[in-house]
Amino acid sequence: MNQKMTAVIRKDLVSITANKNLFLSLLVVPLVFTIVLPSILAAAIHFAPGDPDIQKMTDLLPTSLCSGNMELDLLGLMLNYILPVFFLIIPLMSASIMSASSFVGEKEKQTLETLLYCPLSVKQIFFAKVMASFLLSMTVSLLSFLVMLLVLEAETMFFLGKFLVPGINWLIILLLIAPSISLMAITLIVRGSAKAQSVEEAQQGAVFLVLPLILLATGQFMGVLLINVWILLGLGGICALAAVFLLKKSMGRFTYELLLK
Amino acid sequence: MDAVVLKNLSKTYPNGKKAVSGIDFSLKQGEIFGFLGPNGAGKTTTVKLLTGMLTPSEGECRVLGLNPAETPEKVHDLSGVVTEHAQMYNNMTGKQNLVFYGSVFGITKAEAEKRAGSLLEQLDLEEAGDQKLSTYSTGMRQRLSLARALIHRPRILFLDEPTSGLDPESAQNVNQLIRKLAEDKKITIFLCTHQLRYAQEICTRYGLMDQGKLLATGTLGELRQRIDSDTILEICAAHMPEGLGFQKAEEMLYENRIHRDSEIPVLVRQIVTGGGDIYSVKVRKPSLEDIYFSLTAREKEDA
Repeated sequence: MNQKMTAVIRKDLVSITANKNLFLSLLVVPLVFTIVLPSILAAAIHFAPGDPDIQKMTDLLPTSLCSGNMELDLLGLMLNYILPVFFLIIPLMSASIMSASSFVGEKEKQTLETLLYCPLSVKQIFFAKVMASFLLSMTVSLLSFLVMLLVLEAETMFFLGKFLVPGINWLIILLLIAPSISLMAITLIVRGSAKAQSVEEAQQGAVFLVLPLILLATGQFMGVLLINVWILLGLGGICALAAVFLLKKSMGRFTYELLLK
Repeated sequence: MDAVVLKNLSKTYPNGKKAVSGIDFSLKQGEIFGFLGPNGAGKTTTVKLLTGMLTPSEGECRVLGLNPAETPEKVHDLSGVVTEHAQMYNNMTGKQNLVFYGSVFGITKAEAEKRAGSLLEQLDLEEAGDQKLSTYSTGMRQRLSLARALIHRPRILFLDEPTSGLDPESAQNVNQLIRKLAEDKKITIFLCTHQLRYAQEICTRYGLMDQGKLLATGTLGELRQRIDSDTILEICAAHMPEGLGFQKAEEMLYENRIHRDSEIPVLVRQIVTGGGDIYSVKVRKPSLEDIYFSLTAREKEDA
């Protein structure tokens, strides 16, 4: 990545943080999924421990997940199997806010043509736009994870006087799955943004990308899906390859003429 | 090497509209070339072809030896473009915008700040430099766009209606700057405008366009030779003697068509010796506007 592309990335990041409305909407989803939702679940587990249905479910859990303390087991189950799916919505949502306006936003403000007159190829501009959204989405995701962990640990400490141990799957999610899903979504949204005629059009298209994750989240609530670390790693690898492939294909798709249409 | 070369350049849009049709011409380094014609004549399309924003349907063009359809980013490195649709960021100040575009052209921040300061001063935007672009008037935006196009010290400037929206004083400033750039720094200027009078003030050579076709190219003198319209001698006089071929245009104002400047003293002498009192003598040569209308009329007749 050269200095010229870095300048475009920096400009995009500065402009989003300078726009208070956009920046606030960027923080809403992470706040809900990292503080509100885990706290409600933690409180529910603490204040309704004797529910016979939950008891039945914990009986079905593999022994490796049972420590004898049902409340701690349930909190662990929430942290390691339910929250990751919700967590994955964070990079997707934060990416969509910035990437939906990446090209079409510039087109609406009549700044796209000026950017195209710079000595950067369409590929480089496309890559810079994707990278700006990717960096933002990853920063928001990592910060969200830290905040979530802090809140949950504090609550567990308060209710049980013990610490929760995040599973190894979080590492795979943070370093492989979240970046891959985020990169895929950003590429698709930036691609849509390059073709769209208004920011709203691009945003509407972006919303559909969250659907598979919402279905997955619903699945987790219907009956917890316990995914083996190796399967998770495999899935992450496939996602990463797909993301890189998609980005490469998309970068070669556009010409100046197509962008200015 | 010619700065710009167009060979049988044509562009037909996907909807079938032929915007530019087989145009041929070339520009020397340091020329101020006026590319003239009404809206929809194909001027902006030609600029877009020359900057690689569009790919030609037929023919090719070269800018400083580079083919914009093949290596547009290299062409951009050497050229500055000002068009109505190339705006800057409203949420940044004038200076921040210039520094940003400077860095996209690979200039260090310190150098970009230095150049921005000097350009803002030259374009009378020194005080507005620290204001957000959203507070700028149309004229200020236009001048800042020119500063933006100059930040990387290009060797060729493409200007599409550079003085539209400018007050007369700012327009004069911009003209002076353009002339200085061409004379001192040998920057080639490709200026598109529909304001023929304005073009006549500043350009050294012209290309006249109509409906995607190039009607003629040349200096004002060369273009005048291409049309039949002669020079008109306008004389304000009393007691104009008859038989000299003068037509009365208004009270005391007489006009006569002449072919050579040497006819003027002869006619003046004849009026005086014939008893006429001369108050003023004016020579009216065909303006760019006259030439343009004469050429378009001829084109219609031919069609």
